[in-house]
Amino acid sequence: MSEKTVQIINKHGLHARPAAEIVKTAGKFQSEITIVREDLEVNGKSIMGVMMLAAECGATITLKATGPDEAEAVEALVALVEAKFGEQ
Amino acid sequence: MSRVIIGLSASPGVIVGKVHLLKWELPVVRHRIISDDEIQSELGRFESAVKQAIVRLEHIRTRAAHNAGEEEAAIFDVQLTILADAELLENVRNLIRQNLAAERAFDLVMVDWRQSFARHPHAMLRERVNDLVDVQIRVLSLLMGLDDHDPVDLPKGSNAILVTHDLTPSLTVQLDREAIIGIATDEGTRTSHVAILARSLGLPAVVGLRDATQRVIAGERAILDGSHGILIVDPSDERVAVYQERAVREEAEDAQLRSIASADAVTVDATRITIYTNVDLPEEADQAANSGAEGVGLMRTEFLIVGRASAPDEEEQYRAYSKVIKAFKGETVIIRTFDVGGDKLPIGGFPAEANPFLGWRAIRMCLDQPEFFKVQLRALLRAAVHGNVKIMFPLIVSLDEFRRAKLLLEESKIELTARGVEFNHNVPLGAMIETPAAAISLDSLADEVEFFSIGTNDLVQYTLAVDRGNANLVNRFTPLHPSILRLIKNSVDMANTAGVPIGVCGEMASQPLLAFVLIGLGVRQLSVSPRSVGLIKRVIRGIEESTAFEAANNALKAKTAAEAENILREALSRTFNDPNILTHGLPMDPEEAENLNS
Repeated sequence: MSEKTVQIINKHGLHARPAAEIVKTAGKFQSEITIVREDLEVNGKSIMGVMMLAAECGATITLKATGPDEAEAVEALVALVEAKFGEQ
Repeated sequence: MSRVIIGLSASPGVIVGKVHLLKWELPVVRHRIISDDEIQSELGRFESAVKQAIVRLEHIRTRAAHNAGEEEAAIFDVQLTILADAELLENVRNLIRQNLAAERAFDLVMVDWRQSFARHPHAMLRERVNDLVDVQIRVLSLLMGLDDHDPVDLPKGSNAILVTHDLTPSLTVQLDREAIIGIATDEGTRTSHVAILARSLGLPAVVGLRDATQRVIAGERAILDGSHGILIVDPSDERVAVYQERAVREEAEDAQLRSIASADAVTVDATRITIYTNVDLPEEADQAANSGAEGVGLMRTEFLIVGRASAPDEEEQYRAYSKVIKAFKGETVIIRTFDVGGDKLPIGGFPAEANPFLGWRAIRMCLDQPEFFKVQLRALLRAAVHGNVKIMFPLIVSLDEFRRAKLLLEESKIELTARGVEFNHNVPLGAMIETPAAAISLDSLADEVEFFSIGTNDLVQYTLAVDRGNANLVNRFTPLHPSILRLIKNSVDMANTAGVPIGVCGEMASQPLLAFVLIGLGVRQLSVSPRSVGLIKRVIRGIEESTAFEAANNALKAKTAAEAENILREALSRTFNDPNILTHGLPMDPEEAENLNS
């Protein structure tokens, strides 16, 4: 399993659009992907799951992947979060 | 057979049209087990229902974007992403593989999701429940072969009266005003959002009809009497003729009132009353500015967030506030910060809080989410350079809350200064008096608050412990209850002693009899709906302040609301020989309405 903890730095946090971006990226990989915030763990390929995290700006989440492309999956998701989902 | 269904007047006007029945409610899904042989075909049935729902949603989204704009249409993007959710779809497929019928499997998974969202501590997520319900209804309708009731395909000029259980935000943005001429709903009250929306759109509406959706047939001819809260289905030609005549007469009365609207609001014995108006949507700004009012006593800001997929940013809010402020060209514009919660975060049937009106709402929710709140405060401070703006905080119960709100406003100023953005440094801050707590201890606020505004809907609700959204309690929602009159009297006296201006901005101010008693209780500033400006000015110009004062004093001694109403009615009718004006805007006497049946 591959995992990495990151901080949400875009202004509005994981609202509908960034959540959709995460799901879109996660969907490109074969690995099972989960995201953890505090005691809540959700499926990274589910838009509603990701929205449930209600991760606002400053929140810390852990991205986990298990499968053949786990390292690339985590790397791609981290890059997305760090690029603020393309927000200004 | 002609049928009369009595509800509550929500938006005035009389129209004759055809029933468009919209059964947008969750169907009952029976438990159904399938055999192993049927699993494949059931999986296929599910895939095809989801595909059809997506096609339909994309079509609706395009239409909504055309009718209501891109921002409003975004509500459907969330629904589309729900239908593309890999986990949701897989959970449903797994249940089908365990021999559950597709509709049952989908229903179970959606109920589960809805519960998780409805209980979520985050308000924005609780609001998503509406989208889940919409998706659930849409896909179940397809799986169960139920009629498609989307209002979006009505041709223009249909003269349709929309009859539905309740108007959800996603239905609201689909309303095509060139096809729909009136709204009738089972749920709702005069002050619920369907009613406010209908009034702002100028569409006649009757709410609280309880079982209208069960008692009408699609396509039937009907009369919708929004002024008296009545829906008459399949009326006789004679009845239609009577109503058409009445519609013409009401139009003439309205024209007469409009001509009074620009006159000064001064009583016969020269007491000057300030008449402001209420604004719900930026789009209403021009209409409100031409209503004859001297400014805005209450601009609500909830429409910026209710039913939206995400919170509007500072720019969008700044534009919305500026539009209203500029329309009033230097006249006073009092803007209330977000009053969400209670009934204004529609959360699909099951409450996330046991007592939402006693819960985390209005200023409480804003103070607890300072980053969210400060976006609004910054937008308000920036917009305030365009006119004479005052900011008002809702549901203030104690001075601590007011101080904390003020502190956040100061922080917002520092942030704007750091950004080098132009803003108004001296915006007066007021508090709404909406609870017995605030009304009784108003003097404790008076040293730091620059103006007060009594919100009568909530004051009545909290004082009488009567939920204003509950159709079964309508007769118990009595603004003339002795407790309410005394609370208003005490509030006005305390504010006067402290030298702080106080006004009334609730529904109460828009009704002649109630405006009369408010003036008698010493209120000198009323904020009424744009349509009521002429009516209320006509009342003020016809009365003596001394008569109102005496009548209010007598009403204060009444033991019941009915007794107070009789006292006031008698006093006011000595001034007015037109009996219509007394009942204008009040619900029709149920007995009188029953007589229509004969």
